[in-house]
Amino acid sequence: MGARLFGASVQRLEDARLVTGRGRYVDDIHPAGVVHAAFVRSSLAHGLIQSIDTSVARTMPGVLAVYVMSDFAAFASGPLPQLAPHPLIQGPITYEPLASGEVRHVGEAIAMVLATSRAEAEDAAERINLDIEPLPVAADLAHALDPDAPKARSERADNRLATLKTAFGDVAGTFARADHVLKETFTVHRGGCHSMETRGVIATFDADDRRLEMWTSSQSPYLVRRNLASYFGLDESAVRVRAPDVGGGFGPKAAVYPEEAAVALAAMMTGKPVKWIEDRSEHFLATTQQRDQIWELEVAASNDGRLLGVRGRCLHDNGAYAPYGAILPATALGSFPGPYALEALDISIDIVLTNLVPTTPVRGASRPSVAFVLERLADRVARHLGLPREEIRRRSFIRVEQMPYVTGTKARDGSPISYDSGDYTAALNLVLDKIDADGFAARRAEAASRGKLLGLGLASCVEDTGLGPFEGATVRVSSRGRVIVTTGAASQGQGHQTTLAQIAADALGVSLENVSVEAADSGKFPLGISTIASRVAVTAGSSVELAAQQVRRKALKTASHLLEAAEDDLEIENGVVFVKGASDVKVTLATLAQSLAGTAGMRLPGGIEPDLAATAYFESTALTFAHGSNACEVEVDPETGDVRITRYVVAHDCGRLINPLIVDGQIRGGVIHGIGNALYERMIHDDQGQPLTATYADYLLPMASEMPNIEIYHLESPSPRNPLGVKGAGEGGTIPAAACVISAIEDAIGPGGTFLRHHPISFEEVAGLIDTRTI
Amino acid sequence: MTMRSSLRYLHRGEIRDVSHFGPMTTLLDHLRLERGLKGTKEGCNEGDCGACTVVLGRLVDGHVSYRPVNACIQLLGQIDGEELITIEDLAASDGTLHPVQSAMVDLHGSQCGYCTPGIVMSLFALYQADGPVGRSEVTDQLAGNLCRCTGYRPIVDAALSACAARTENKPGDHVASKSAETAVKLASLRDGADLFVGSQTSFFAAPASIESLATLYHQHPDAILVAGATDVGLWITKQLRQLPKIIHLGRVVGLAEVHETADGLTIGAAATFSDVEAHMTAIDPDLGEVWRRIGSKQVRASGTVGGNIANGSPIGDSPPALIALDATLTLQKGDDTRKMPLEAYFIAYGKQDRKPGEFVRSIHVPRLKPHQVFRAYKISKRFDQDISAVMSAFRLTLEGDFIREARIAFGGMAATPKRAHGAEKALVGASLADEASWAAALAAIRADFTPLSDMRASATYRSDTAAALLEKALIEIAGTSTHATRVTGHRPVSEAAE
Ligand SMILES: Cc1cc2nc3c(=O)[nH]c(=O)nc-3n(C[C@H](O)[C@H](O)[C@H](O)COP(=O)(O)OP(=O)(O)OC[C@H]3O[C@@H](n4cnc5c(N)ncnc54)[C@H](O)[C@@H]3O)c2cc1C
Ligand code: FES
Ligand code: FES
Repeated sequence: MGARLFGASVQRLEDARLVTGRGRYVDDIHPAGVVHAAFVRSSLAHGLIQSIDTSVARTMPGVLAVYVMSDFAAFASGPLPQLAPHPLIQGPITYEPLASGEVRHVGEAIAMVLATSRAEAEDAAERINLDIEPLPVAADLAHALDPDAPKARSERADNRLATLKTAFGDVAGTFARADHVLKETFTVHRGGCHSMETRGVIATFDADDRRLEMWTSSQSPYLVRRNLASYFGLDESAVRVRAPDVGGGFGPKAAVYPEEAAVALAAMMTGKPVKWIEDRSEHFLATTQQRDQIWELEVAASNDGRLLGVRGRCLHDNGAYAPYGAILPATALGSFPGPYALEALDISIDIVLTNLVPTTPVRGASRPSVAFVLERLADRVARHLGLPREEIRRRSFIRVEQMPYVTGTKARDGSPISYDSGDYTAALNLVLDKIDADGFAARRAEAASRGKLLGLGLASCVEDTGLGPFEGATVRVSSRGRVIVTTGAASQGQGHQTTLAQIAADALGVSLENVSVEAADSGKFPLGISTIASRVAVTAGSSVELAAQQVRRKALKTASHLLEAAEDDLEIENGVVFVKGASDVKVTLATLAQSLAGTAGMRLPGGIEPDLAATAYFESTALTFAHGSNACEVEVDPETGDVRITRYVVAHDCGRLINPLIVDGQIRGGVIHGIGNALYERMIHDDQGQPLTATYADYLLPMASEMPNIEIYHLESPSPRNPLGVKGAGEGGTIPAAACVISAIEDAIGPGGTFLRHHPISFEEVAGLIDTRTI
Repeated sequence: MTMRSSLRYLHRGEIRDVSHFGPMTTLLDHLRLERGLKGTKEGCNEGDCGACTVVLGRLVDGHVSYRPVNACIQLLGQIDGEELITIEDLAASDGTLHPVQSAMVDLHGSQCGYCTPGIVMSLFALYQADGPVGRSEVTDQLAGNLCRCTGYRPIVDAALSACAARTENKPGDHVASKSAETAVKLASLRDGADLFVGSQTSFFAAPASIESLATLYHQHPDAILVAGATDVGLWITKQLRQLPKIIHLGRVVGLAEVHETADGLTIGAAATFSDVEAHMTAIDPDLGEVWRRIGSKQVRASGTVGGNIANGSPIGDSPPALIALDATLTLQKGDDTRKMPLEAYFIAYGKQDRKPGEFVRSIHVPRLKPHQVFRAYKISKRFDQDISAVMSAFRLTLEGDFIREARIAFGGMAATPKRAHGAEKALVGASLADEASWAAALAAIRADFTPLSDMRASATYRSDTAAALLEKALIEIAGTSTHATRVTGHRPVSEAAE
């Protein structure tokens, strides 16, 4: 066997295309005769549609059709099916493809124009007159459950969509016995995904065959298929959904959107291919976001600095619809107790309807928010007891000898959660060592001599990854000896074409260049779930391993017939099966594939089933738990409140690494996302639900100059829960990052300063917290 | 005077002629929709993300000089006479990657790949420019490129590695290897003819002389003047405004020139921020620091000082600096020109002292005299490519330790760029050596402005910051500074006092 590719930092197979402009994203696909769609959207956050005047728009140049919901009656009516039904949510709380009665947030699509060009469609859309009677707006999360609060949805009694709970241990007893109980309220704000590619959809419909084909910039092409097939009453086999190159996803592209349904309906109505590309303003208005959670929490701690229990309540801003059920709050509950060996926990989350765009997971989902509140509570206890922050953690963490550790909480399927492996204290000690925590006092003094405030931040997390049930894969050797991996798992930049190829190449003894990965096309692979929750390495990766190993066995069996040698004596290298010690007795994988492809009138070798291929569905029945600790240093300018992150160190454990280059890329990008959440990204709406930060001039993303050096160190605690020993790595960078930066800012301001309870924090707020400010 | 009715630009060694295009057609739409070149991406259509970055080459002193621009807000007509290079053009015909592209692959500079074409083009422009490339050059170059996936570090590393390996003849760079040929072809496109594409009711015009400009604008006072289109481009792509008549200033001979005069410099209205960057830095390093943080490389390569003044925005970065320097504006209408102090041009929010048919001709900026010192600070939430919350500029004339005259101007503090007259007066006679003598000015500056609260900053923060920046300027000039801040750039204390 050649050098193993698994574990090697091999270059990505995707890149030669991407760096030369040959990536093919939805907007780069132009079916013949395609027409372009533009949407007319609500400018009010809440109202009742009285009338829609499309008369002028219909006469505009290039316009082919203008649709409102009732025009689709022959094909569809009512709201879309619920994506992830939740027993507590009475629904469906989902969109209609075009709103027909009540509109519930700014940016909700109401009418659609088709024209020969996008510009003409947009110009005509401008000329559609909407008459919407305003209704009172629920835009203030903190007061949305008050008895007299305006209702976000008229048909409901109030704005509480559901309340989810998790609890374990003797909560009352733990809090009664605890030496210290501290109470804090936190406001956590996260913005949108801001993938550089916006959403986009193309649909074609063959009226004779009643076949719908779509390309969509989605993390979940199979969910789109399931959802739309069910909505349109089509068999799933008559709907083909593909995700071509996707320019970033980060969560919101995992939902199914009303525009996807509307574009499909327009294709059904016209028989023409229809394309819609979201513009950046629409992305701010109509792509799901994350926004606010308000946490009122109490922590119980012992005199010696152990966290014993956490209890409290969260208000979760759900927005006006729940296309994805209760996924964000459920993820929040599943993120407790983090790395802490708590005796007792009692958390309830109120899912609150507001007249804002719905919230669905953004990189990390609710995990960063829970990491933030838990890490803040740990720091709060440290302050209260006058103990070092790391000491609280050392005393409170789950210890390595407690693995597997049953937390007391439950997974989405109701099964008890147990952490599989990992040494949390080792990760903490590693970052402290790498950032040279011992030398911090000297560095702080040096910064002070330059008039700057230096702070050291610390945060840890545990991350559930590898969400079930499965992603499958087929591994096939072609008649030319190429290994073709087909999977349902979509990619949005995670490098699956490379990592999945590494796994298959190792199993089959071929070079990386001889493997191609075809993904996210329901016409090529029958089933798929979604690229979310850091699950693809575990699910698809394991399936590729299982399928490739089956193909290997089949190849050896076939070769043993052809070469008349025992299977045990055979080896595969560089696409050739040969007898160990007699390498001229050999047959290529290509020949084996040909012999199993069959020849008319000839028998297959050894009665082996045709097709040098195998399909596997690895079912992930228990989550795998990645973990990590981060430490950073910030330098604060007391005059302006400007915060600069000067160092950032990550210790991360995602089990065995398939490709360290790619894992580091995921972590680094994730940390920057978390830094954005801590310092820059703020999606502001006014009290009427109008977005105030809907361009990149107002909504600030981190840029190259904001980027600290991020040093990454890996611990590898292989997961016993899958054949590769891997855990997910897509979100571990983001989860503790905001908590880490905020803790550093607090440290910079000094022990007497304000305890920080929210993010993002602006330079203006920081300046206000520093009493040494010159004026 | 000759007239040409089709646009010409150089692409892949060929001169392309475009005789029919709408005046508002953007370069991005031309590439993607008309030419079918899909490598260049749209990420925001408003100049913020850089996914659409392409590179334009033009002749400067006989050499081809390259600059990155945002194709989404660049009008097609603006590229007349220039060479266009897009992401499809960098690899050699046999597929060998350009050194910048190879470095991006080697160092994992791309994940989803959507920002990648724009980033590669920005780095390509950096690679073409000569001069040492360190980390701050790279982050400056990337100030107009957003990437959500990578965290930038591998991209920065790729840039450093490609540029470090660069030698004079730039092996592996077929754009550089053809530069002599390109120069000849670009020279052949310089015909001195007025460009006019369209009809009397809808046209894109790019006059070649001041006279032609004056005449054309006199005939069509309802036309929109376009210099860099970094503002006007957004009217088209975001506000969906209809602009049937566009007069572009970029081809007017002499209008983009910067003249050094005995007492200062005269900036032609069409000179870009990039064109004047070195001149401003020579007046004072703080100006260089402010300049480097106006928009991004892409925005500075197209955007002009003339446009920054003409648009009358209360948050433009150059007006406060230029007002503090006592700049004079020259306006022209037909054959008539008139001059005014720059500050007089800004009458009220959205109202400037400019008549229909009148255009900004030039700006004269006096250099600092001996005994004059200058400071300017831009305060924004994000270091790069961010609109200022507060922009401040200070010029003090000293007599020993005593302040004889002060000119202080702010942006973001009022409906127009505005002087702090009260603080200026209060400073006269104050001593740098006596902090107590500054108190009146520090109090006065709060009375000089009643700023608004908005998403960038609250009124209180603005007032506090204005006072803090004045104090900071005084401390620095007094030579007692220990606060070297990133926001304002580092200036060694020894340099501070005159
Ligand atoms: C991403 C981005 C970032 C930016 N960042 C900054 C920043 O940090 N600081 C800042 O100050 N600005 C910034 N801007 C705004 C813009 O770049 C500047 O205002 C720039 O100076 C405008 O110049 P222009 O040549 O592009 O103007 P244009 O868009 O061509 O024109 C602007 C206005 O001026 C008029 N005009 C232009 N030239 C003349 C003339 N000679 N006579 C009369 N009228 C004329 C035009 O008709 C138009 O009304 C940014 C813009 C973008 C897109
Ligand atoms: S598309 Fe974003 S800058 Fe042009
Ligand atoms: S690689 Fe995805 S945005 Fe840069």
